[in-house]
Amino acid sequence: MWILSYLPDFVTHIIFTVGVVGTIAGFVLGFIPFIAPYKLPIQIISILVLSFGLYLEGGLADQAVWQLKVKEMEAKVAKAETESQKVNTEVVTKILTKKQVIKEKGDDIVQFIDREIVKYNNICEIPEIVITTHNAAAKNDPTLLKKQIEVPTDLHNQLATPPMILAPKK
Amino acid sequence: MKKLLLLSVIFLSACSTVVPVQQKFPELPEQLTQTCKPLQTIEGKTTTLSNLMEVVAKNYGTRHECAAQLEAILEWYAKQKQIFEQVNSD
Repeated sequence: MWILSYLPDFVTHIIFTVGVVGTIAGFVLGFIPFIAPYKLPIQIISILVLSFGLYLEGGLADQAVWQLKVKEMEAKVAKAETESQKVNTEVVTKILTKKQVIKEKGDDIVQFIDREIVKYNNICEIPEIVITTHNAAAKNDPTLLKKQIEVPTDLHNQLATPPMILAPKK
Repeated sequence: MKKLLLLSVIFLSACSTVVPVQQKFPELPEQLTQTCKPLQTIEGKTTTLSNLMEVVAKNYGTRHECAAQLEAILEWYAKQKQIFEQVNSD
């Protein structure tokens, strides 16, 4: 209610009180001689002021309820932010530890390879196609394999071409 | 009469109250925004068995790291979503 942001609370209470007092004066105290001549105008104005005062009081009460809700919401959001930060720290710590463990285990395996698998280097020769296949898998690019499958035909064609017949030396 | 109508419209504007509290979904931590490392390839046309095994082992390590990161992101999202929805559900 925008009007309440300009009017101080006490003004609202004053308007309401004036409305109540005026209504009482207009309806109940009409028998008093100096009030009697102004009875009708007092009644009309008082009812208008009382209505406006009631409206403002209602708005004030409603605003108070909303402010309470806002404060509750702010508290909830602040609590959620704290929890969220806690989750961030937990998850980040967990992933950093996990990555470190993965790296350490990987290093152990590499050490084992350098110590044990090296012994078989001379026994097992790695053909080029194995390297190409591995690289194709690593890059997820099967087109690299096609190049490997292409068989060079130059030698075949060379051999298939009839050689020049040399005349025997006499 | 026109003024009275205008006044009533102004007063009715009180009905449109907006709660000035905004809840933002948290940003993903920097450590979880890293992309997965590319897999290593073997250089050259010849290699040894140990070198081949080493590259394969390192690539598996990269894959495990990447999987761990994805799991962490999923866990982070699930927990943050729960916290985010809890604020509005109460």
